Amino acid sequence: MKTIEFKQLDETLFYKKLPNGLDVYILPKKGFSKTFVTFTTKYGSIDRTFVPIGESEAITVPDGIAHFLEHKMFEKEDGDVFQQFSEAGASANAFTSFTRTAYLFSATDHIYKSTETLLNFVQEPYFTEKTVEKEKGIIGQEITMYDDQADWRLYFGAIENMYHNHPVKIDIAGTIESIDKITAEHLYTCYNTFYHPSNMLLFVVGAIDPTEMMAFIEDNQSKKEFPEPTQIQRHFEEEPTDVAIKERELKMDVQKPKVYVGLKAKQTDLSGDEMLKHELSVQIALECLYGRASDFYTDVYENGLIDESFAYDFSLEKGYGFALIGSDSSEPDQLADKIKEVINNAESLLTSDGIERVKRKKIGFYLRALNSMEFIANQFTRYEFNEMDLFDAVPAIEKLTLEDVVEALKTIQGESQQTVFKVLPSSERAE
Amino acid sequence: MTIGGIFLFLSTQIAEGVNLHIRQTTQFKTVSFSIKFRAPLDQQTAAERAVLSNVLQHSNGKFKKSAEFRSYLDDLFGTVLYFDASKRGSEHTLLLNVETVNDQYLQQNKVFNEVLELINTAILEPNYENGTFVPSIVEREKEMIIQRIQSIFDEKTRYAQHRLTQILRPNHPASISANGTIDTVKAITPESLTKAYETMINEDRIDIYVVGDIDVEAVQKKLTEALPFKDRTPKKAEPVTNESKPEKEYTKEQQEMKQGKLHIGFSTPVRFGDEDYAKMQIFNGIFGGYAHSKLFMNVREKESLAYYASSSYNSQYGLVYVVSGIEPSNEKKATDVIKEQLEAMKNGEITDLELSQTKAMLVNQLKETLDLARGQIEIFDQYKQLDETFSVDTWKERWDQVTKEDVQKMASQVQLEAIYFLSGKEA
Repeated sequence: MKTIEFKQLDETLFYKKLPNGLDVYILPKKGFSKTFVTFTTKYGSIDRTFVPIGESEAITVPDGIAHFLEHKMFEKEDGDVFQQFSEAGASANAFTSFTRTAYLFSATDHIYKSTETLLNFVQEPYFTEKTVEKEKGIIGQEITMYDDQADWRLYFGAIENMYHNHPVKIDIAGTIESIDKITAEHLYTCYNTFYHPSNMLLFVVGAIDPTEMMAFIEDNQSKKEFPEPTQIQRHFEEEPTDVAIKERELKMDVQKPKVYVGLKAKQTDLSGDEMLKHELSVQIALECLYGRASDFYTDVYENGLIDESFAYDFSLEKGYGFALIGSDSSEPDQLADKIKEVINNAESLLTSDGIERVKRKKIGFYLRALNSMEFIANQFTRYEFNEMDLFDAVPAIEKLTLEDVVEALKTIQGESQQTVFKVLPSSERAE
Repeated sequence: MTIGGIFLFLSTQIAEGVNLHIRQTTQFKTVSFSIKFRAPLDQQTAAERAVLSNVLQHSNGKFKKSAEFRSYLDDLFGTVLYFDASKRGSEHTLLLNVETVNDQYLQQNKVFNEVLELINTAILEPNYENGTFVPSIVEREKEMIIQRIQSIFDEKTRYAQHRLTQILRPNHPASISANGTIDTVKAITPESLTKAYETMINEDRIDIYVVGDIDVEAVQKKLTEALPFKDRTPKKAEPVTNESKPEKEYTKEQQEMKQGKLHIGFSTPVRFGDEDYAKMQIFNGIFGGYAHSKLFMNVREKESLAYYASSSYNSQYGLVYVVSGIEPSNEKKATDVIKEQLEAMKNGEITDLELSQTKAMLVNQLKETLDLARGQIEIFDQYKQLDETFSVDTWKERWDQVTKEDVQKMASQVQLEAIYFLSGKEA
């Protein structure tokens, strides 16, 4: 077992790669009664074209399958896994993102029992045509729920605008039509390919003894058999740098228009320290340009172009990346123009003083976030899948310079990388 | 500091009606403050105090521009500082929450004293111009609150819940929003807002909380100096009654949307702090509070009618809400399945497993909440109304003692009062 100490943060992380390839990380937290465990596979909605384990030809599976698989993992021959977690007083859950599927629980008692439940239910698939059919009604309602959420449609509309080919533009849950095509056989193919321990990471954080917990996990894993790990082959089509659609709108039953400006990233092949530095630089640039202390924010706030829904964010993974900036606004076009004006003139707006201030804010953010077990486990996993280290973030921020930030921002700054997506009220409403 | 599950806050009165509660712990990398101003809830005071929380958030006598205020907070290692409006029972709360990094994790800087000074500025040095809040800021923040109220319409689940509450308990604290109404917000002037602020500072009941790795005596002394509130005899809020009855038993409304939102309101005579309160919590856990509950297992898992189907117990108002998102054509079937789950409980169809799962989940939930600084503050703040020292062990014991018959009795007192269904226009 390897020990990694973070002196300034007063944390010690324990790590071991098990013989079956599973990465196990344990972070003991003193003074807490809770333990939080996540078991994550590097498999998300974008992994739709791949070579199934043991085969040689790539196949494309129906959209929404990673999420469908996540749902179906909870149902076993002897019933629903939630029942077992509840019995041990554990809150269990799962989520599927573009790049990951995570299964998790938190509890204050019977931690070993629930850890065992977690490891076993994720490693013992049980799919039948009957249970797959039954799930279609449930997921159908989940899809319909998102279809009615204007903020979700705004988010996906902007991503759809940006991408020509990359599957990040496909809704994580798929569509009613695409999930209808899913069979138990599909689920086994995806499961066998992506749920091998060598493609997964287990993170335990909380009130636990690391040595005992590691031994417990090793024992559980040593009793199971897995095929030799192989390199997973995923296929993605070539993606141009420019956006697919410059401007588009959608009508929904809302009272106030919503707008996002999307900035498509052209550097999406980084990993490790380079990616960490790049990602933090872009985030700091956006905060300087659009944050609450910026001239832009003062202007649009005082002129009534934004409200409390105003937000900006930068997402980066291997193969895709984008910034989204927007708000509910009665003047969506005017707001979009102002947002673009700022990004186009960013060099003259970014200053050393501004960067230093935002760096301090960002350091404070990471220190606060380290109170949250959920943040640590989820973010650590995401960082690790991109060969970055969460606990390097604070020292990496300290080293950033104005030049780094300006340089990184250039990768999302081009005119051809900008798009605008709006959700508009569908009908005139009598006041 | 936990002794037998008792969470220790050291409480002192710094003026009549103003109490300070401090908890020293090494659990967190930050220090959290919460300052709560409480007054009786009605539409007008809710509106005034919602706008007030935004105006105080915007600027103050020292930082007259919002950007200056925000820059200063960024410099204090992103100290989080926000005002907010909320309600509990028949009381309105205007609160200031502050969270700052504990000095020991920073290489050189010391921010704690600056944060204390900032709390004083944010609360006691308002940004006045000719004796009132600045009119342009007041107008802008009124507009923000109006937009916040209007935005409910654009989120269908929130809207359906809002409509059900209005129908279920008209003219009752349960249906008064902590933000007031559009009309009451519009009626605010810089003068009326200034008066509301002065009333709040001089007459509200105030609780101040601090949690973190701090020197208790030093913080007591510094905060008492930083917040020199005067003695006051706070107005008591009227206790919540159940005199309000639903306008209609069934309401169906339409918007352009795909899913049907089924929201059902039930009443129970049991309130927070009543002898049967623990039993009622178990009832809700078995009915629809968790993934092992009857609603989830039947509406979702057995019948595939919904992605979500759950219940929540609002113990301040004696209400139980059931919410589910369904295919509009399944409205009757879903309503029937939901009613059947309550009927089953009235008939005593409650398994030992359901009972033990729910007890385990309640204990876990409470312990998890207490792992958060905000959780410790909220639990202590709520339970201190009861005449006892809060401890996890006491509550665990209360839940442990609940029997199947107790839950059946709780179910028999739960009454369906109103159904609200929001769905698409073509359904």
